[in-house]
Amino acid sequence: MTYEKFTTQIWWKAITIVLLFYTCIYGFIVKVPDLPILEQSIRNLFFHVPMWFAMMLLMMINLFFSIKYLSSNSQRNDVIAEKSALIGLLFGFLGLATGSVWAKVTWGAWWVFAEVKLNATAAAVLVYCAYFILRSSFSDSEMKAKFSGVYSIFAFVMFMVFINIIPRVSGSSLHPGNGGNPGFNSYDLDNNLRKVFYPAVIAWIGLGLWLSSLLVRIQFVKRKLDSID
Amino acid sequence: MLEQANRVKYLILKEAYLEWRNKSVLASMLLYVIGATFIVYYAFEGRIEFQSWTAIFWVIVLFSVINIVGKTFEKEVNQQYYYIRGLVSPIELILSKLFYNAFLVFFFELIVYVEMTIFFGIQIQDSSYFLLVLFLGGIGFSNLFTLFSTITARLNNIVVLPVLGFPIILPLLILVLRLTNISNIEVDFDEKMINIGAMLLLDTITFILSIILFPYLWSE
Repeated sequence: MTYEKFTTQIWWKAITIVLLFYTCIYGFIVKVPDLPILEQSIRNLFFHVPMWFAMMLLMMINLFFSIKYLSSNSQRNDVIAEKSALIGLLFGFLGLATGSVWAKVTWGAWWVFAEVKLNATAAAVLVYCAYFILRSSFSDSEMKAKFSGVYSIFAFVMFMVFINIIPRVSGSSLHPGNGGNPGFNSYDLDNNLRKVFYPAVIAWIGLGLWLSSLLVRIQFVKRKLDSID
Repeated sequence: MLEQANRVKYLILKEAYLEWRNKSVLASMLLYVIGATFIVYYAFEGRIEFQSWTAIFWVIVLFSVINIVGKTFEKEVNQQYYYIRGLVSPIELILSKLFYNAFLVFFFELIVYVEMTIFFGIQIQDSSYFLLVLFLGGIGFSNLFTLFSTITARLNNIVVLPVLGFPIILPLLILVLRLTNISNIEVDFDEKMINIGAMLLLDTITFILSIILFPYLWSE
């Protein structure tokens, strides 16, 4: 199934809407386990964590279509890559914001240096900001697509290294579930939380896909109009 | 295979020869590095703690690397593009640039290190380990910035290089700072080698990525 075919279908958008309502309403009335420090803030699990998943997925789409662009040279792939990264960046900011509010409650500060994941994601957000700066500094659209494609492939690989290798070498993380903090390990992610968490993941990922596909279609229409003039 | 290796060798020699003939670039870089360290020496009034030493050392190195490596492809992309393209394959070209830049960056790192030692005294306990860190770190820096300098050469705008490079260099920088700390404290051998291994891994990843991606940037 091609990207265009998938994104014009209705069924998954309907599921997304239903699940988003479910997450936002049931997420606040579901009974959560009573953990020390976390307490009610555990409900952030339905918002903060799925947003990272959505961002990761969108960045993977960006990577996939960047590689596809370099091997095929078709502008269509570049448009999809760009718009996915744009919405991915939006989810990145949202993830940082929800995480920051949550950190103020539980860790007592908006930003904590000792936290590896925080700094890694801040770097990732910076990388994708640089990606858009790079795009905006080219006027020739073919060169723009090629150079930003190369940049985003490089960026994605380094980013993967950053969040997968560095924390392992340098040890501790303050996130729930790491280093003895109470959290949502497979042991204590109880069934109530799971009932909201998994739908929430699908809902936010669906929203991300939907938003980016709309931007892609707008861009396609614009280009068609340009070619008619 | 041998023929390609030979061509890479000649490209590196050409690079070194041109650099040597036009000494003003090398000399200005040297002065840049010396000036930066001297300013730091004055700002700290000759006394410095180890943590600040590490931070300052790597900041100076990072900014010099940008200036050294940033103009790698200036000539190739603009004046000699068709000439070079007719002579060598892109992979040979990027290999020669990577080797040459790694050497150059290591050289300037050594200069900064010697100077910081002269000004602030000996700060690093295990200096042979630190030299290894310098060498591997230099390779990582040069791999990354060499690839991106193609982009800035096409744009004719070196200001973009730090914008593109700084966020991506962070994993490397964090590792290098850790390694610098390790070379100053007593840790067991395994711990040292694990971190060197991580550094090697990063160098390899950036090396392979540069080689794979460069032909796309080089083609018109």
